[in-house]
Amino acid sequence: MPPESDDPAVTSGGRSDPAVGIRICGLNKSFDGPEGELVALAEIDLGVREGEFLCIVGPSGCGKTTLLRILAGLEPQFGGSVDFTVDTDGKPLQSMVFQEQGVFPWLTVLENAAYGLTVRHVPKDRCRAQARDYLRKLGLSAFEAAYPSQLSGGMRQRVNLARAFVNDPAVLLMDEPLGALDEQTKMLVQTDLLRLWEGSNKTVLFITHSLDEAIVLGDRVAVMSNRPGRIKTILDIDLPRPRDALELRNNERFLHLRRQVWDSLREEVVSLESDENRAPVAAGAAP
Amino acid sequence: MRRVEKILVVASPVGVFVLWEILAYLGWIDVRILPPPSSVAITMVVMFGEEGLLDHTAATLFRFFIGMAVGVVPGVLIGLTMGIFRWFRAFTNPLVALFYPIPRIALFPLVLILVGINETSNVIMIALGPFFTMLISAMYSVLNIDRIYRDVAENFETGPRHLYTMVTLPAAMPTLMGGLRISVGLGLLGTVAVEFLVGESGLGHVIWNSWQVLSLQRSMAGLVVSAIVGFAVYLSMDLLERYLVPWQKKTAPV
Ligand SMILES: Nc1ncnc2c1ncn2[C@@H]1O[C@H](COP(=O)(O)OP(=O)(O)OP(=O)(O)O)[C@@H](O)[C@H]1O
Ligand SMILES: [Mg+2]
Repeated sequence: MPPESDDPAVTSGGRSDPAVGIRICGLNKSFDGPEGELVALAEIDLGVREGEFLCIVGPSGCGKTTLLRILAGLEPQFGGSVDFTVDTDGKPLQSMVFQEQGVFPWLTVLENAAYGLTVRHVPKDRCRAQARDYLRKLGLSAFEAAYPSQLSGGMRQRVNLARAFVNDPAVLLMDEPLGALDEQTKMLVQTDLLRLWEGSNKTVLFITHSLDEAIVLGDRVAVMSNRPGRIKTILDIDLPRPRDALELRNNERFLHLRRQVWDSLREEVVSLESDENRAPVAAGAAP
Repeated sequence: MRRVEKILVVASPVGVFVLWEILAYLGWIDVRILPPPSSVAITMVVMFGEEGLLDHTAATLFRFFIGMAVGVVPGVLIGLTMGIFRWFRAFTNPLVALFYPIPRIALFPLVLILVGINETSNVIMIALGPFFTMLISAMYSVLNIDRIYRDVAENFETGPRHLYTMVTLPAAMPTLMGGLRISVGLGLLGTVAVEFLVGESGLGHVIWNSWQVLSLQRSMAGLVVSAIVGFAVYLSMDLLERYLVPWQKKTAPV
């Protein structure tokens, strides 16, 4: 695949010849709200590199979930274009990990994890073997016969992640999958997640409202503006891998990056606080 | 269930019977109108032995189960189809709205004219209540499925077969069970009602017939047996629910 030199979002990175996996051009999305049209996303341009872990942060309500739902094919009507150019190699194109979990309460942990394979008519033995493999990696082996209602919140999140990983898609779309967890559990699951991803060559879009999380996990962090959402800044996270979620937090480079991301996001949060009905965000705010 | 609750569950009906017996013994209630449990029990034993009460019970249960099956199965199937397919809902919903509010007992003469006075008309009358109840709860059980589950199914490109068996039906199951509990009550009511009206057999017939000849103890005995039948059916719903909705942690009433 040729390098995409005309795409600002791609060339802003430091690496050479990053192949584009998902190209998003001039993406617009509005909803019919109670007070007329509500513009959720305005002119999103973003190139996601093949195999990268791209984190997206942004103020609440700026359209992060909407962006991911469009990529997941769940919002058929939008303006602009989305092209997946990743090499799927016979795998499913994408799977989404939903913000509200969506683990099926009526399926056991094992059945939930194997869901994607089951509905693709993969033979039962292989479904189970692959699901068990990921459940083991996520420390859920002892609970494969349990129903989700019998698990803790952290374990349910792991099931949610397992279901997406077992499906083995080329692209993983994750919408604040660890949002509901306490700090300690979050760090454990982050480490699990990094281990799973590092052993794969998946492209990941990961939404979070935690700056620490974005920097710990991501190759790059995209900061979105207030609604209507745009990509405001993209920062390279040049921390070495493999990373450890716990140790990184005292690393000097980490603190510096955190400062940079926060500076970019703070303007959005402050303006959101001071003026709820603000017009579209000023362009050219990137550093 | 905690032990205290278990005791209370048994203690409350037993308590009512003991109180009733005592009040009758003290003469505070008129035993000609409300015979005490002890004499009803004796009458019941006699009736089981000499008057074929067991056969009447069997006849009632038989009608009830046939009527339930005839009502519940098509009710669930049509209701689920209405929930799943918009176009089907659009053309069946007005019909449901038209027929559902008619008092079912008012349809009895019509049913009798159409099929005659026989076991078929009984079954139809018993089935009507459960049919509409299951149809409506099945439709709403599908319509009220959380959007997140549809989204997940869509994102994993779930085909129709897996969608219905792994998502739609299990998601609808708790609501369906609720509908079934109400249907069971309606079915029992309908069974006894048709036995009042046209029965030559069944507990409803026993209760009504004894009452007409002013044999209150017999009437009461029939009532008690039908209450026991209702109790047993209701308890079996808990077992059914545990089997059909195993993922739900329930604090069942009994
Ligand atoms: N189906 C919908 N109908 C109408 N408006 C919607 C719909 N979905 C989202 N919106 C609106 O679009 C905007 C963006 O919503 P979205 O869920 O994408 O935000 P978000 O960035 O994910 O927020 P959060 O961080 O709180 O999850 C919000 O103002 C929301 O009210
Ligand atoms: Mg969201």
